[in-house]
Amino acid sequence: MVLADLGRKINNALKSLTAESVIDEAVLDNILREICAALLESDVNVKLVQNLRKNIKQIVNFEELGRGVNKRRLIEKSIFDELCRLVDPGVEPYKPKKGKANIIMFVGLQGAGKTTTCTKLAYHYQRKGWKTCLIAADTYRAGAFDQLKQNATKAKIPYYGSYTENDPAVLAAEGIEKFKKEGFEIIIVDTSGRHKQETALFEEMMQIAEAAKPDHYIFVMDGTIGQAADGQARAFRDAVPIGSIIVTKLDGHAKGGGAISAVAATGSPIIFIGTGEHIHDLDPFKARPFVSKMLGMGDIGGLIET
Amino acid sequence: LFSFFQNLTAAKTLTREDLDPMMAKMREHMINKNVASDVADHLCQSVTESLTGSKLGKFTSLMKTIKQNLEPSIRKILTPRTSTDLLRDIFSAQNSGRPYTITFVGVNGVGKSTNLSKICFWLLQNNLKVLIAACDTFRSGAVEQLRVHVRNLGAVHPGSTVELFDRGYGKDPAGIAKDAISYAANGGFDVVLIDTAGRMQDNEPLMRALAKLVTTNNPDKIIFVGEALVGNEAVDQLTKFNQALKDFSGVREPRQIDGIVLSKFDTIDDKVGAALSMTYTTGQPILFVGTGQTYTDLRRMNVKSIVNSLLAK
Ligand SMILES: Nc1nc2c(ncn2[C@@H]2O[C@H](COP(=O)(O)OP(=O)(O)OP(=O)(O)O)[C@@H](O)[C@H]2O)c(=O)[nH]1
Ligand SMILES: Nc1nc2c(ncn2[C@@H]2O[C@H](COP(=O)(O)OP(=O)(O)OP(=O)(O)O)[C@@H](O)[C@H]2O)c(=O)[nH]1
Ligand SMILES: [Mg+2]
Ligand SMILES: [Mg+2]
Repeated sequence: MVLADLGRKINNALKSLTAESVIDEAVLDNILREICAALLESDVNVKLVQNLRKNIKQIVNFEELGRGVNKRRLIEKSIFDELCRLVDPGVEPYKPKKGKANIIMFVGLQGAGKTTTCTKLAYHYQRKGWKTCLIAADTYRAGAFDQLKQNATKAKIPYYGSYTENDPAVLAAEGIEKFKKEGFEIIIVDTSGRHKQETALFEEMMQIAEAAKPDHYIFVMDGTIGQAADGQARAFRDAVPIGSIIVTKLDGHAKGGGAISAVAATGSPIIFIGTGEHIHDLDPFKARPFVSKMLGMGDIGGLIET
Repeated sequence: LFSFFQNLTAAKTLTREDLDPMMAKMREHMINKNVASDVADHLCQSVTESLTGSKLGKFTSLMKTIKQNLEPSIRKILTPRTSTDLLRDIFSAQNSGRPYTITFVGVNGVGKSTNLSKICFWLLQNNLKVLIAACDTFRSGAVEQLRVHVRNLGAVHPGSTVELFDRGYGKDPAGIAKDAISYAANGGFDVVLIDTAGRMQDNEPLMRALAKLVTTNNPDKIIFVGEALVGNEAVDQLTKFNQALKDFSGVREPRQIDGIVLSKFDTIDDKVGAALSMTYTTGQPILFVGTGQTYTDLRRMNVKSIVNSLLAK
C-alpha cells in the first residue's frame, strides 16, 4: 500500500513511546528524528519536515507541561495532527453538478500521467452514470492525440481532437462547444506537459484555460517526484487555480511524499491516486482516514475524535 | 543555513560531537538538493570518518572543511569510469559490418521515447543510418509517437536514412526487436534504437519481459532513462532494473545497465541530486542529459557544474 513503509516506520517510532518508562525531551527527540528521517526518505519536502518537527516541539513543550498531562497521548496526537496537516488542506473536494456541463482541465509536468489519468477519471464518472467525454488539447507531444483516442476508444468514451489544428486553445473551445451542445455533463480537457522554467508553456496553459473556462483544475503529480515538487506545484498554483491533485504511479515502490508536498504548496486535496496503467487503476483518496490507517488504526484510532 | 558553523574557528582536534550536528545539517542540505537519503547518509558517514581526529586549521570554518572533504568524493562518483564515446563504438561496429544496437529502458513517462529520438537526431547529424524499433507494444499511442518523430527527423535531415520498424500493438517486444535487428543488418543500417515500454521496477511480469528482450537480442548498450525529477526512487529503480536483468535472464553472465540518460534536467533548477543518486547506485556514467523537449535538447553531463550546484547554498 501507498506509504505503508512510512507508516510502519512512524508506527515503530510511536511504539517506542510505550516502552519508555520516563518520557522526556530526549525520548521525543529520538522519535522525531526517526519520523523525520522516514518522511525525508519518502521525498516529503525538507521545509515541511522541518516545520513538522518544530510544531511538534512547540506543542509538546516539556518545560510548560502540567503534571497531569498524559505526555504519551500528547505526543501521539500532535504527530497524528501534523501528519494530517501534511495531506489534508482542510477544503472540500470539488463536486460536479448534475445536468450541467462541468469542465475539468488537467495540468501537470511532462510525463506525470495526465493523459492516462484523464481517461481513468472519465471512465470513473461514466460508470457512475454521468454523460462524460474527453478533449485532446495537447498539440505538442508527438502522438498525444492517438494516445488519448486509443484510450478513449477502449473505454468507449466520446472524444474530440485533431491531427491538423495546432492551437490547443482553439481545440479546447471547439470541443467544449460541441459537447455542451450535445448535453455532456463531464467534459475533461487533457493538456500537454509543462514546467515552470519555460514561460511560453505556462502562457499556453493560460490561453487554454481562457478558452476552456474550466470549473475545476486537476494537477497531476508523479508519485516518484522528489524535492523539485514544491517549486513546480507552487508555480502551477500561481498560474491557474488548482482545485485538486491526483498522484500517479503509486503501484510501485514509491511512497509519494514528494507529490504529497503539493498539498501544502497548492492548498488542494488529493482526490485520487493512480495505481497502474489500466483504466481501473484509480483509487479514491481521503486524507484523514488515510493517515489513521497508515498509523495503524488500533493504536491511534481513539485520537481522531479528540 | 551554515552561518553558525563559522564560529568554530579555533584550532582543535575534531571529535564526533563536533561533527555530528553539522553533518546532520549537511545531510539535510543534500536531501534538499534531491540527493537520495541513503546516498546522502553514505557520503556524510565517510566524511565524518575521515575528519574525526583530524586537526581543524585556526582560521578555517568547519563547514568549509566538510565541503572540501565532500567535493572530491562527489566528483569521483559523477565522473565516468568507462568510455562515454558512443560514436567510437558505433563506428567500430560499422567497420565490422553490423548494426550497433541500443535499448532504452526505464519506468513510465520518464522520457525514453523522446530522448531516443533526440539521440537519433544526433546520430543522423553524424551521417549514420538509423532504424527505430517500436518495441513498446503496450502504451496507447506509443507507435504513433515514434512514427511522428521519424517523420520529423526525416524532414529536418533531408537525404538521411531513418526508418521506423513496427509491428503494431500487443506483440512480443523481444521478437520485434529481433526482427528489427535483422532487418537493419540486411538493410545496411548503422544503428538500431530500441524503444521499450515504461515499467515499474516491482512489476515482475514486465521486468521478466524486459530481461527476455535483453537476453534475446544482447544489445550493445542498455541505456536507463531516469528523470532528474525523481527523488529517493532513483536508487530503487536502478537497483531493481539491474537485479531483474540478472535474476530473469537465465544466462550465466547477465547484462546490466551500461549507461544513463538523465532527462528533464531543465525542470529542476539547482536540485540536481538525482544525478548523484543514479551514478552512485550504478557506478555507470550519465551519457546524456535531456534538457528540453526538442531534438537539440541533449547535452553531455557537466560534472563540475553539478558538483557546484550540489554544494552551493
Ligand atoms: N505504473 C503506472 N503507470 C502510470 C500510471 N499513470 C500513468 N502511467 C504511465 O505513465 C506514462 C506517462 O503517462 P501519460 O498519461 O502519457 O503522461 P502525461 O502526463 O500525459 O505526459 P505528457 O502528455 O507527455 O506530459 C505512461 O506510460 C502511462 O502508462 C500509474 O498510476 N501507474
Ligand atoms: N522538459 C523536458 N521534458 C522532457 C524531456 N525528455 C522528455 N520529456 C517529456 O516527457 C514526456 C514523456 O516523454 P516520453 O518520451 O513519452 O516518455 P517515455 O519514457 O517514453 O514514456 P512511456 O513510454 O509512456 O513510459 C513528454 O512530454 C516529453 O516531451 C526533457 O529532457 N525535458
Ligand atoms: Mg499527455
Ligand atoms: Mg515511450
